[in-house]
Amino acid sequence: MAVKFFGQFLVEKGIVTSSALLDAINLQDKNNLKFGEMAVAMGLVTPADIQRAHNAQMSRDMKLGHLLVEMGVLTSVQMDDVVIRQKNTHLYIGEALVQIGALTSEALQQHLDAFKADQAQYVSNGIDLPITSANSNIWEMTADLTYKMITRVLDLQFRPGKCVQATAISPNFMLAAMDLSGDVEARYLISVSEGLQKSIAKAILSEESVDDEPAEVLEDTVMEFVNVVCGNVAAKASQMGIIMDINPPVTLHPPASGLPIPAGHTALSFPIHIVGGDTMEMLLLIKN
Amino acid sequence: MKKVLVVDDSLSVARQLEKIISESGDFTCVGHAKNGAEAIKMNHTENPEIICMDMNMPGMDGLTALRTLSVMDKEVKVVMVTSLGGVGDKFTEALKLGAKNVISKPFEADNVLRILREL
Repeated sequence: MAVKFFGQFLVEKGIVTSSALLDAINLQDKNNLKFGEMAVAMGLVTPADIQRAHNAQMSRDMKLGHLLVEMGVLTSVQMDDVVIRQKNTHLYIGEALVQIGALTSEALQQHLDAFKADQAQYVSNGIDLPITSANSNIWEMTADLTYKMITRVLDLQFRPGKCVQATAISPNFMLAAMDLSGDVEARYLISVSEGLQKSIAKAILSEESVDDEPAEVLEDTVMEFVNVVCGNVAAKASQMGIIMDINPPVTLHPPASGLPIPAGHTALSFPIHIVGGDTMEMLLLIKN
Repeated sequence: MKKVLVVDDSLSVARQLEKIISESGDFTCVGHAKNGAEAIKMNHTENPEIICMDMNMPGMDGLTALRTLSVMDKEVKVVMVTSLGGVGDKFTEALKLGAKNVISKPFEADNVLRILREL
C-alpha cells in the first residue's frame, strides 16, 4: 500500500530475494551506460573530452550532452544518437532479473501486470493550481497523493476544495509540517482541528478510542501521517525524475492571529472538507 | 518465539509495530529504541533475532545503525521500515548495507508478518 518501484515490489512480495535483486541491479549498472560512457563507447568523444566537460559542469548548470555540443565536441544530431542508443540498449530491472535466472519471462509479465495494478491507485488525477511554476506537476501530484492517503490510511470521506493562494497560515488546533529539499524546496503542512487529530490517531493506532492517549502520542500520529504522505511523494517524485529529500516532521501551534507566510515563498492552500463538517487544510509553502 | 526489537522515533509507529508483533503469536517484542544509537545498545542487552528499524531518525539514523550492526552482529536480521522505501536508491542502499528487506509505509499487518516470517 505505497508507491514502489518494481524491484521493491518483487522483494516485498517474496517473489525474488534481496540478493537476486542486488545482482540484477549490478547487471544494470554494467549494462546501462551513462551519457558520457556511451558517447565514448560509440567513438564520438574521448575520455579527455568527458573530463573537460565534467570540469565545466562545476560552474555550469547544464546536462553533459548539451555542454559537449556547446563545446563543439558533439553535434546536436550526435547527441540525439547517443540518447537513442542509451534508450535502445537500456536493461530494465525485470529483464535483468530474467537474465540472471531469478525470474522466467512468463513470470515477469505476470508480475508486471500485478505491479501495474498495485500502483494504478497512485496515478495522479490532475489538480488545478492557481499558479504556474516549473514544478507545478510535482505540487499537483503532492495534493493528489495526500487525498489518496486520506482515503487509504485515514479512511475518511471528504471533498477536496478549490486550491487558492494563501496570504497567511490560518490558526487551528495543530499543524504538522515537513520540509522538502533537493531539486525542489518547500514546506508541507497539514492543519487539523482537535476532533480531526483524534480521528487521525484512531486510524494510525488502529484503536476504537484514543481518549486516554497522551497529547504527545496524538500529535505524533499527525506527524506520522505527514511522514507517510511525504515519503510517498518523494518516491513518486523520483519516478518523475525529481530528487526530493524529506526531513523529520515537526508540530506547530499557531496563535489566534495565524502565522505569516515566510518571505520568498508562495503559499498554496488546499481545503479538505471532511464528511461530518470538519475541515482539514493542506498547505504548501513553496520557495520561489 | 522470535525476539524482535522495534526502532523508531515515532511513538505511533512503534505502537503499531509492537501491537502487530505481540499479537502474531510467532514473535515477541523485546523493546523499543528511539534512534540508531539506542538500537545498537539494546541489540547488545536484549539480543533480538530481528530488528525492525526506521530509516530516518534524528540522531543516528537507521542506515548508519544498520552499517554498524552488520559489522558487530552477523546473526541479527534487520528489516528497514520507511516511508521512503519507494525511492529506489534508498531501498537499494538498505539492501547493500545488509538489510534483509524493506517494509514501506503505510504498511499492513499481514505484509509485515509475512516479511518477518520469511526471514
